[in-house]
Amino acid sequence: MGLYTLRRLLVSIPLLLVISAVVFTLLQFTPGDPLDAYIPPDQVLSAQQREILKVDLGLDQSKPVQYFKWLGRAVQGDLGYRIKNGQPVLAELGRRLPPTLLLMGLGMTVGVVLGIFFGIIAAVKRYTLLDNTLTFLAFLGISTPAFLAGLLGMYVFALKLGWFPAGGYQTPGQGGVLDILRHLMLPATILSVTYIAILMRYTRSSVLEVLFQDYVRTASAKGVRSYRVIAKHVLRNALIPVVTVIGANIANLIGGAVFLESIFSWPGTGQLYLDAIDSRDYPMIMGTTLILAIIILLANLITDLMYGLIDPRIRFS
Amino acid sequence: MKRSLLALTFALCTLGSASADKVITGAFDQGPGGAPGQFNPLTNTAGFTWLNKYYSTLVLYDPAFKKISGDLASSWTVADGGKKYTFVLRNGVKWHDGEAFTSADVKFSLDLANNPDSGSAFASKFGNITKIQTPSARTVVITLSKPNAALLDALTNFMILPQHALSKIAPKDLRNGAWWRTNPIGTGPFKWNKLVPDQYVELVANPDYFRGKPKIDRLVNRYFKEQAAAVVALKSGDLDFSYLSLDDTKTFSGNAVKIISGPSQVANYLGFNNTSPLLKDVRVRQAILQAIDRDTIVKQLYGGGAEVANCPVTNSKYVPKGINAYAYNQEQARQLLKAAGWDNSRTVEVLTYYSDQLSKDVLVTIQQMLGQVGMKIAPRFVDVPTYNQITGGNDFTMVYAGIGNGPDPDTLYPSLHSDFIPPNGTNRMKVNISALNKLFEQGQETTSTSARTKAYQEMCSLTNKQLPWDVLWSAKRFGGVNNKLSNFIWTPAPAGGRYDDKAYLWDTK
Repeated sequence: MGLYTLRRLLVSIPLLLVISAVVFTLLQFTPGDPLDAYIPPDQVLSAQQREILKVDLGLDQSKPVQYFKWLGRAVQGDLGYRIKNGQPVLAELGRRLPPTLLLMGLGMTVGVVLGIFFGIIAAVKRYTLLDNTLTFLAFLGISTPAFLAGLLGMYVFALKLGWFPAGGYQTPGQGGVLDILRHLMLPATILSVTYIAILMRYTRSSVLEVLFQDYVRTASAKGVRSYRVIAKHVLRNALIPVVTVIGANIANLIGGAVFLESIFSWPGTGQLYLDAIDSRDYPMIMGTTLILAIIILLANLITDLMYGLIDPRIRFS
Repeated sequence: MKRSLLALTFALCTLGSASADKVITGAFDQGPGGAPGQFNPLTNTAGFTWLNKYYSTLVLYDPAFKKISGDLASSWTVADGGKKYTFVLRNGVKWHDGEAFTSADVKFSLDLANNPDSGSAFASKFGNITKIQTPSARTVVITLSKPNAALLDALTNFMILPQHALSKIAPKDLRNGAWWRTNPIGTGPFKWNKLVPDQYVELVANPDYFRGKPKIDRLVNRYFKEQAAAVVALKSGDLDFSYLSLDDTKTFSGNAVKIISGPSQVANYLGFNNTSPLLKDVRVRQAILQAIDRDTIVKQLYGGGAEVANCPVTNSKYVPKGINAYAYNQEQARQLLKAAGWDNSRTVEVLTYYSDQLSKDVLVTIQQMLGQVGMKIAPRFVDVPTYNQITGGNDFTMVYAGIGNGPDPDTLYPSLHSDFIPPNGTNRMKVNISALNKLFEQGQETTSTSARTKAYQEMCSLTNKQLPWDVLWSAKRFGGVNNKLSNFIWTPAPAGGRYDDKAYLWDTK
């Protein structure tokens, strides 16, 4: 397994190179460069000031030179500086990753637990009113964009019911664990909605497939309690496709978090990313893309390794 | 034991209430006048509402933008035909770190702005300063190469910076320096406390403020990426103040939040690439104006919250009587287009950086109205960097944009004078009318108020006749403030410009 992991990690390196090159190329096709974004439409800058800025931002060099300079520094762990405030890109990312991981972590945990739970229920009670209701809710959940769910959730739970604060990470001047948790609950729950819905559908169909296998019938026939049959014999075998879905949806989760962060004024990577794109902040965009790509690649690796834990029949070679 | 426990509880309770301080939390950088997360007063072109809470300027406007009075300067005189300004500074002003504020700080700040390495937006306004003298700690003499009547106006947005803290940092490093975000020192009513990136900035009261100690203890500026989120926070009471769009204001009921409105001092216009042969014939530009039913748009879409304008200045003082109102007349518009030989099958792209719903509605309505007289337009919504890149070049025909036109009409100089055609400035429509250039130059050079007024009135007539832009209207802007605040003064100035909001008197229940 160690060798397998190492090989996977090594394969990731050329992949990251390709990703960075593609993103850099796409950036060059985006209209407007950092200088256009840096200067508001009605701010007068002299040609001299403009030239100074250009040299400062490294925009006076040719595109390939810009890319390879970036790459040369990136492999040494230096992702450059954010144009907006001159802070190191890594420091800016480092500050925003914990809130994002917190949001994604809780959203994912809630999503996985509830998704699998409801999925099993729906499969066991298949074609009943309960199953149909859950199916209906699942489709509603899958088809509601995170953006809309976020605004609706904020309107209902923060404004009308007043259960949660209307966005933010902490109350200015406070910021204890409980305060942050109070701010976290609503966006994390909303983030989990799509996840619950998707996982519920996959779990349901996967459990249904296993439910009629001979070994399940055998287990029931020899008198194993039904919850044990489900937990041990059914779930263990039904989980493989579900784990695949969990891993594959990490990218979706990040996408959802990007929008939710900006709705909930959550100071995470998503908000930083949108801001970087708005201001054509090349180093910031490249840096964020790289880190997010690494996270997704790692998540996929972990997913693959999980197979072996769940199903001992799977061997890595 | 019981008694001591009771006493302890009691003590803790009183401790809790004693530490409860007065806080005002606002979204001061929300909306078009804000610059969230940007703290360099030299390079900022917006966000002055917030910056002036901890920095001060030499002079400032009243909230109605009628009169300029002193802030750090207690008085000033203008001599030598408008080429020499002498400022007498207020006595006993101290920087937040206790150092005395002197004329050297003023000279240092102006020099810094004029140093190209600092990347300051003020360089174009202070460019003709030739000499800055400080004959005493309380006197600053500024000498200009030619008269500039708009200097005072520019100074209302110019924050004075501490020499003792900044002279050690190279101007180049200052542009994006950490100083602005970590420990800035000003002379304003509040002192910097901390910045929590993407979340909020917190200031605390400056007990030594030269106009008196603020009534509240802390002032917090919260950031919202989404306007809708700020609106919900204002409604739920998490926030005491925010900028509001016209559509936002309609969603408020009850009396917990008071809606403040004021002129935006921004004129919306259809701008034409003046070098494009397509719209060279003035009859086409007239036809466009007459085909648009501006009264109906103002009434229906703006809910009356805008005023029709017919030249780039909207301050009534500078709008002469008898300029052409280009009344809505479809038939005339059709005839004008025909006379100009307009090709009905042609579609003109209209570029805009506006992305709000109101602007979308406005553009679709204009598209319909122009379609009725046989002119096809296609609105194209882009973000600011894209807009800047396209209009910096020559490959466009028409835009829908807004331009700050007040309080002093000199603000329009870099947008209409041919010296400022890109890459040298922001005359993005490439307007090149020598008579217009002269009027703007006159407006700067003459010191007599009546002669200035006359120059800008002529500027208004001329642009009204020649239509380098089709100016449409000037809208109001809005803010919402929690009714528990008292003495709160806010007005939607362009860029959040500097006016006397007496923040040291703001209070909350």
